[in-house]
Amino acid sequence: MDQLIQVLIIGLANGLIFALVALGYTLVYGIIELINFAHGDVFMLGSMLAYFLIAPISSGGWGIFPITVDTPLPLKIAEILAVLAICMAAMATLNVTIERVAYRPLRNAPKLAPLISAIGMSYVLQNIGLVWGSAYQRTIDSVFPPTNLLEPFGITSVAITPSQVFVGILTIPLLIALSLFVNRTRQGRAMRATAQDPDTAGLMGVDVNRTIAITFLIGGGLAGAAGVAQLLYNDYTQYTLGFRFGLNSFTAAVLGGIGNLQGAVLGALVIGEINALSDFYLSPNWTQAIVFGVLIGILVFKPTGLLGQQLADRA
Amino acid sequence: MSATTDTVGTGITGWLGYIGGTLAAIPSQYRTALRQRRRNTIALTILFIVVVLYPAVGHYVLADFSRRVFPLPLPDDTVSTFMTIFAIMAIGLNIVAGFAGLLDLGYVAFYAIGAYCAAFLASPHFGALGINLVFLGHVGPGAAGIHVPFWLIMIVAIIVVATFGALLGAPTLRLRGDYLAIVTLGFGEIVPLFFRNLSSVTFSLTLGPIVISLANVNLTGGVQGINPIDPPYIPILGWVFDARSGPMAVYLGLFLLAIAILVARNLEHSRIGRAWGAIREDETAAEMMGVNTLRTKLLAFALGASFAGVAGSFQASYLGASTSDFFDFSISILVLIMVILGGIGNIWGAVLGAFALTYLDKSLLPYIGQRIGDVAPSLPNPAEYNFLIYGVILVLMMRFRPQGFLPSRQREAELTVHGLQDAEREMGVEVETDNVDITPHGQSETGSGARDAETTDEARDL
Repeated sequence: MDQLIQVLIIGLANGLIFALVALGYTLVYGIIELINFAHGDVFMLGSMLAYFLIAPISSGGWGIFPITVDTPLPLKIAEILAVLAICMAAMATLNVTIERVAYRPLRNAPKLAPLISAIGMSYVLQNIGLVWGSAYQRTIDSVFPPTNLLEPFGITSVAITPSQVFVGILTIPLLIALSLFVNRTRQGRAMRATAQDPDTAGLMGVDVNRTIAITFLIGGGLAGAAGVAQLLYNDYTQYTLGFRFGLNSFTAAVLGGIGNLQGAVLGALVIGEINALSDFYLSPNWTQAIVFGVLIGILVFKPTGLLGQQLADRA
Repeated sequence: MSATTDTVGTGITGWLGYIGGTLAAIPSQYRTALRQRRRNTIALTILFIVVVLYPAVGHYVLADFSRRVFPLPLPDDTVSTFMTIFAIMAIGLNIVAGFAGLLDLGYVAFYAIGAYCAAFLASPHFGALGINLVFLGHVGPGAAGIHVPFWLIMIVAIIVVATFGALLGAPTLRLRGDYLAIVTLGFGEIVPLFFRNLSSVTFSLTLGPIVISLANVNLTGGVQGINPIDPPYIPILGWVFDARSGPMAVYLGLFLLAIAILVARNLEHSRIGRAWGAIREDETAAEMMGVNTLRTKLLAFALGASFAGVAGSFQASYLGASTSDFFDFSISILVLIMVILGGIGNIWGAVLGAFALTYLDKSLLPYIGQRIGDVAPSLPNPAEYNFLIYGVILVLMMRFRPQGFLPSRQREAELTVHGLQDAEREMGVEVETDNVDITPHGQSETGSGARDAETTDEARDL
């Protein structure tokens, strides 16, 4: 039982990182019906950038924010926030640039043209990661101590580590902020309007191109944050990370009902748990196959996902 | 098609006149046909000669030439063989993605299944399980494992892979466009994972009195894969066609490729090919016209997949090994780029794209990398970053030339009045420009080579 709880906690932390990436997929799909294949690789580049910012010069990084376990807490928080801000800004810019270069010219082309363009873009980004970070795994020394935060409460059989708490502290405010932005602000209303009908939204005075760009901006920013979370939680990054995380997160977005923000978070948590359970109880070799099985099963039997709205001709 | 029909009179003289006139018209008709198709005929003849001669004499004649005059490397036997393998796959994917308009991102799965068909049926692998079967093969009796001749493996691979194509297609083909692409991608990832992971299967099944029990059985060879696989020996009238390596392998590949082209061409112009076109352009309309869309799409999937089965089993026999790592997602994308590069929907385009990209991938980039390495070893090797180049190709193609470099005639005809006139002139039909409706086939959505069945209106539909 304790073991199961432990696995579920690990899955929860995984799921929260997936959620940040999945939101990028679901936002973009909701607004221009494009499976942004390159999104996972934006996330990967985010974690790669975080690696270079944090890793000391001796191990090939830039050592600008040399965070270690021993860094005093206020400085650590400040440095992490700085890394976070840089990565989010950089990935947001990158994502907007990608939209501008690869997707906007294909806005009126058949639906599969931007998808193929996105696949091409994914390979471009992946290879940038390969050139930049080389082929092998880049690891940092763990930033958080491996202590059990539940020990003061007399629980030793189940552990919650500071890094898991960090993932929660990082992701949950972002999720709330995104929800508030989309539902409460003027720009958020423009996004929802564009998602429903871009032509009519345009007639109503919404700048559709700008709205789409902002969607990509937000998606990229979230992917950058997820990259930082991935690096600091799992202590490594690699150029292939984007494909695996991307497909997990896309599956999460589909599971929750693509285009649905709450659905994406829910789906991501479920996929995170599935990953952890499969890793632990079955074998890591099969995890990917199981996630794909879930993806295929959902698309075939319930393409609208868990929380999806009625999508008339979508699937 | 002869003007002599006017001369048909009554009685025997009329008949004789008719027959005589018809016979007299044949040479002129032939000349007309030759004139109209001269370009194609000449091109095909040259292509045929080059293709037949190159594997045999290429090295002796051209290698020296390439060293002295033409600084780029020429494809050697291995690269040439892979060219034919990838061309067969590109033709198969072109059936699915080009003719029927279904984007398949997991095409590598069928390639892998084909390869493992050969691995299972022509290797000592199952000898470890005590299954020994030598059947009509060139392996002596009493050899461990299953040994089946190459041509039989081909047939089995086609059937097995087509079955898998249909199995995958049946539940997923109701999906449209991008969702189908993702499902096929998932399938393409799962299949190699199965081949990688089924290296120690423990399995027991009790069906009443029948108990099937396996303990720790190495089914697929795991990460190491299966080797050695019997090379493609083909007996022809007592003489053994040894296509293990060298020009003979290229010829075997070319032979298979020729069959693939022939089959694909016939499919394209058959009833089922027209049904694919109808579905691609407008699925709803096709259904209204009585096309059984599900069955037609299923056929596209199964038939397209079977080409990959041929390519996969040929490759496994040729290399003598089959490992799951080879069957990566990037292979699916590589074949897709071949099809898009050549001109989606066009068989010759797919072949050309496959030749060009295989050459680039296996000959040109390593050569350039080597040259760069000689001059400045610190610079990146382009062969290592080949997919950077392919990614850029995909993005640029979609933006600037989505119909590919050798677009299918029908597609071009649908795109422009000019193209329509060209096409009909080629077919020997006079076109009256006044009567040409600019969008006669209602193709508002054909602005790109992606061949989506959905209109932009539909894409916006939510």
